[in-house]
Amino acid sequence: MNENIITINHFTMKFGRTTVINDLSFEVKRGETFGLLGSNGSGKTTIIRSLLGMYIPTEGKLLIDNNPFNVAASLKLGYLPEERGLYKKEKVIDIMVYFGQLKGLSVEKSREWSLAFLKRVDLADKSTIRLDKLSGGQQQKVQLGITIMGDPELLILDEPTKGFDPVNRRLLMDIIEEHQKKGATVVLVTHQMEEVERLCDRIILLKNGKAAAYGTIKEVREKYKGKNLDDIFVEIYGDNQKEVSRA
Amino acid sequence: MHNLNTVFRFEVIRALKKKTFWITTLSFPLIIAVVFGIVFLSNKTTEDAAKNMSKQQFSIIVNDQTGLVQDTILSQMGIKTTTDKNAAIDQVKTGKIDAFFYFPADLKNGIEIYGKDVGIFNNGRYSAVAEALLQQMVTTKVDQNVRSIVGNQLTINSLTYKDGAVSDPMRQLIAPGLFLVLFYFLIAMFGNQALTSTTEEKENRVIEMLLTTVQARTLIIGKILSLILLAFIQGILFIAPVIIGYFFLHNQLRLPTIDLSSIPLDPARIGVAAVIFAASFILFMGLLVAIGAATPTAKEAGPFLGIVMMLLFGPLYAASLFISSPESPLVQFLSYFPLTAPIPLLLRNAAGTITWPEVFIGTAILIITAVIVIRIAVRIFQFGALEYSRRLSFKEVLVRK
Repeated sequence: MNENIITINHFTMKFGRTTVINDLSFEVKRGETFGLLGSNGSGKTTIIRSLLGMYIPTEGKLLIDNNPFNVAASLKLGYLPEERGLYKKEKVIDIMVYFGQLKGLSVEKSREWSLAFLKRVDLADKSTIRLDKLSGGQQQKVQLGITIMGDPELLILDEPTKGFDPVNRRLLMDIIEEHQKKGATVVLVTHQMEEVERLCDRIILLKNGKAAAYGTIKEVREKYKGKNLDDIFVEIYGDNQKEVSRA
Repeated sequence: MHNLNTVFRFEVIRALKKKTFWITTLSFPLIIAVVFGIVFLSNKTTEDAAKNMSKQQFSIIVNDQTGLVQDTILSQMGIKTTTDKNAAIDQVKTGKIDAFFYFPADLKNGIEIYGKDVGIFNNGRYSAVAEALLQQMVTTKVDQNVRSIVGNQLTINSLTYKDGAVSDPMRQLIAPGLFLVLFYFLIAMFGNQALTSTTEEKENRVIEMLLTTVQARTLIIGKILSLILLAFIQGILFIAPVIIGYFFLHNQLRLPTIDLSSIPLDPARIGVAAVIFAASFILFMGLLVAIGAATPTAKEAGPFLGIVMMLLFGPLYAASLFISSPESPLVQFLSYFPLTAPIPLLLRNAAGTITWPEVFIGTAILIITAVIVIRIAVRIFQFGALEYSRRLSFKEVLVRK
């Protein structure tokens, strides 16, 4: 089995005349938690969407398990996109069971798992409520549940804490750690350096479509004279990005 | 296959749970029921009023310049005659008599009726009596056959033959023609649902999660299959109450009795209609789904439905041409151009003005186009998935690898 679960090789992405990603290469190792970092508009989401076949790369190869992404492949994927949303007019449990079935679980198993998850995130009494009757944070929890349903081998979480309060952020961290312990590979796309320091084994910092820093957290910090990640982020993206890094 | 079944069931169940589905579906038979109810009430009221009117006695004076009216009959009916027209009119004005009929020498000049105003409905009794009076007079003087011819009361029993067997083109049109009617109703009622079936995923931002969980092709085909089943359910819900209503109420509503056994059932023509109907329906469902996938919101997709409907049902304006001149270039073009073909093909098949080669070519065009359109719909859905605020151009769909 290949050590790398994700391989990005000489990836270039252009939208019209704008080059968003420029000849980028990196790997994500099986079982590690990998941080994909960068300021707003640095191309993080573009990389994920291209990796998952939603964008066609201008050049280069983006592989999962040595192949371009294919839904029908055997690898179990859990993806929490940056653009959040589910079927608003449907009941929470119906949506979760639907996605559970699409992920290959039986109706019973999907229902059982979903009810247990909803109980864990304090939404047990909301299972038969229409999704649009839930608050934004509650909807995010449901979407997180769908993402981790079926014990995915590869978890790609794009800004997972966006919209979460500190309590639910902590809950999310715990859930990610549980999946780490189960051996899942986690790709974390985030601005939150606290999350990165707590969870990630290796990181890549993107600037102008290229890797400004890439390696283990220790290697990156050594490269920047022992500074913490927050300071490294500010140094790379400039003072004008301070607000972004602390958002 | 598992996911196709899952998508199919999810789409069907959630559509059946929507109030709009049932409102749209049941509104048609409900409107029909209301119309039937109004017709029934109207018939009953008119009948009652007519019965009351026939019992009414009213005084009449007649001035006959035609020579047709016989005094003996008038006196039997208690109707007086006069030669002084103006005096008779004055009598009506003063209320001494109820009505005065003036039959001029030349009836082309029109019968003149003067009567006491007894309300919008009851005023009709005067002309009814005047007409009945003249008819009764003519009946006594003219031969029965002449009366039938002049009165347009002829019964014609005609038989036409084709290939040595009795053939009735009008009746033969009924069974295959039902597919045309069904197609019209289903597209008219279901078009919008097909159009918005993919915009919902975009508007709800659920598309990214879906595309990483299920193949776009599975999703689109599942949606189209669910739309077909829902259309089938809707079709039954349209027709069933009408049929049930007809059989239980056709006497009360004075509807004509339909002898189903007299409707010819030509298996070949019905089979062709079914195939054209199915191919056309799938083609247009695919087309509407593709348009929905290319547009960011249901609101933006809306105007395209109008264009599709114009293309589809525009050929109905040339309906008589499909029957009278099936070989004309316009009919040929409309029959083979996939977006206009369903109506000409279904109509010509029903009327028997289509040849077997035309059936094969027309149906093949529809099926091939349906497959192409569905494939394009899948591509659009895949590549247009993340165009949350922009409409995808056709060029982009074709150019992207």
